[in-house]
Amino acid sequence: MNMSKVIFGFFVLLALTLNFGFFLGEIDNPAHHNVYELFAALIVGLIATIMKLGERSQMSAMLLASSLVVDLHLLAAVIVWVLSVHVLEVGLTPAVMASIVSLSGGALLANLLSVVLLTMETAGFSR
Amino acid sequence: MAMRRSTALLFFRRMRIPLIVLISAYSIATIGFTLMPGVDDDGNPWRMSVFDAFYVVSYTGSTIGFGEVPYEFTKAQRLWTMVSIYLTVIAWLFSIGSIISLMQDPAFAQAMRGARFRRAVRNYDQPFYLLCGFGDTGRLLATTLSELRHPVVVIDDTPAKIEALSVETFRAPVHGFCMDATLPENLLMAGLQNRWCMGVLAATADDRVNLKIAVTARLLNQRSAVYARADEASVADNMRSFDTAHVVNPAEEFVHRLRLLLTRPHFYRLYQWLRSSPDGDIPDVPQPPKGRWVLCGFGRFGQAVYRMLRELEVEVTVIEENAAIEGLPEGTIAGRGTQAETLKAAGIEDAVGILATTRDDVDNLSILITARELNEDLFCAAVANRWSSGPLFHAAMPHFVGQPGELIAGTIISHIRSPLLSHLFRRLEEVDDEVAAELLERIAPNPDQAQQPEFFTVRLSKKRAPALHWLQKNGFDIEVSLFQRHPTRPGVQVPVEVLMLSRGDDDRLLPDGATRLESGDRLLVACPPALAGRMRGLVESEAAAYQALTGRELHRSWLLNKLIPGAPAPGGQDS
Repeated sequence: MNMSKVIFGFFVLLALTLNFGFFLGEIDNPAHHNVYELFAALIVGLIATIMKLGERSQMSAMLLASSLVVDLHLLAAVIVWVLSVHVLEVGLTPAVMASIVSLSGGALLANLLSVVLLTMETAGFSR
Repeated sequence: MAMRRSTALLFFRRMRIPLIVLISAYSIATIGFTLMPGVDDDGNPWRMSVFDAFYVVSYTGSTIGFGEVPYEFTKAQRLWTMVSIYLTVIAWLFSIGSIISLMQDPAFAQAMRGARFRRAVRNYDQPFYLLCGFGDTGRLLATTLSELRHPVVVIDDTPAKIEALSVETFRAPVHGFCMDATLPENLLMAGLQNRWCMGVLAATADDRVNLKIAVTARLLNQRSAVYARADEASVADNMRSFDTAHVVNPAEEFVHRLRLLLTRPHFYRLYQWLRSSPDGDIPDVPQPPKGRWVLCGFGRFGQAVYRMLRELEVEVTVIEENAAIEGLPEGTIAGRGTQAETLKAAGIEDAVGILATTRDDVDNLSILITARELNEDLFCAAVANRWSSGPLFHAAMPHFVGQPGELIAGTIISHIRSPLLSHLFRRLEEVDDEVAAELLERIAPNPDQAQQPEFFTVRLSKKRAPALHWLQKNGFDIEVSLFQRHPTRPGVQVPVEVLMLSRGDDDRLLPDGATRLESGDRLLVACPPALAGRMRGLVESEAAAYQALTGRELHRSWLLNKLIPGAPAPGGQDS
């Protein structure tokens, strides 16, 4: 067992689960979507991106790309949140919440792809 | 591919942990602030949002410190502020320290330089030369090539030399990189297979290295010419055996010039002039004396000089310190030529010339000075081993001085300027010295302020001289005098000289102006640098060639009309 692989896999998987946790619930209901969960998903996503930097294999290029997509989506979601709550002060209206959650939904897809790719790579490696 | 990305990879691999530490510290500090209980201005319980918390952490972590916003902090929040200050500041110090130590890491700096070097070499879009070795010879070659506006890529395995290179100024880009030239991959990195790589110059001081470079270049790039230095005759022969464009053995070159000086004074002047740096002067007509010579030093140079003098049946007395050298001639005086007694023992008083060829420049100078004091009419010749002793030798004013670096660089550069020059010199060996005198008179009517001419190798073929080929195809006779004709004033001659006409194996020196040129002929043309552009135009532009030949301007449409029914009338040219 390779410890660095465990840590790597841990972060990639955690990014997916946190993202999923935030995404789950009614799309326009603020009570179903916790701000801490979004924050954690973004932080773990960033860490996963950094872990993927500097990897050499062909698969890692795709992993890095999907990770960057995750970061982009989650950052966009966070910006929408900050703008609507703190800058424009319209609050978490159903429309705002829906756009935040749908952005995180995009990130969820990319995170899913990351995990699938990682699994494929691991499976290919053990063969 | 992996090589190319190594710098970015190295950077990200080393920065992974510092970046993760930074992100973790920030997120912990942010979350902590949102959890700490606070109160607003009215005393109501209040907690920071994630946004407010990140704002506070951002200015705290970067040590800006706006104070306690939006409301004054409670004790709990202040407690957490302290925690987050230490956390983020330490994280910053750690990651900035990592970046700085990475920048200073020799391996990383080397990788960065390598990447820059590869980028520079890849982006060349004009003919450049690849120079291996940056000693005396290499420096002269790089300077002269850059004067000729050729970029040069220099590789040498001594870091100090490459550093010295980076602070010098050149007229064309010169990129240096410190690496081992014997490894083929390094030569490839330096652009050996680049389509603009015109030639590889192996100018290190080590024969084995030069040989390896020559072989590598020959095998990996057939199109580029290889010029190499070889001190040992056996290595030189080895290099010539696999089609190295030009091999220079400094001792042979020294002896060759000395022989010309002794036997063919005018050829010597021409040779010495055209085979030195482009700003060199024409030497005066040498007046070598007849009689016995004293030769100090029986090393590589001394032995070659001795053989040559014996071939010319000149009497030589050798002075050599080391009696163990094989092949020392009989009657050799043991000792150093720097001492008056030794020189007297060799009969310096009734000798006509002194040759200082030891490996030590100070000894050589001392020999010249001491010998001249004993006999002031001596003809003095010396080897200046190091280029840096040049000014000393210049001040000592020997009649002939050879510096290996200059000999090698001058010979290689003249070969690069025109490969036909070697044919010219070979042909001049076979004819009277008068021809050399006439040739020199033609290209340098005023020897005191002569400027080296620009050389052109014109080959009459469709590819190399399209304009001349076109004229020939249309039935015009091209004569050697075409090159001397003024484009607009008929009858006026421009100072362009056709030095040699090569047809097959026949090299004709100074061909007559009325000689008709045939397809496949090669011409060595010398012209003043100011006329170089015109010469090029004559060879490449149909209009220019037509005008020079007939004195009329070429009207494309008129000519086309004339051409289509039949060939243009060669008889219609103006005189």
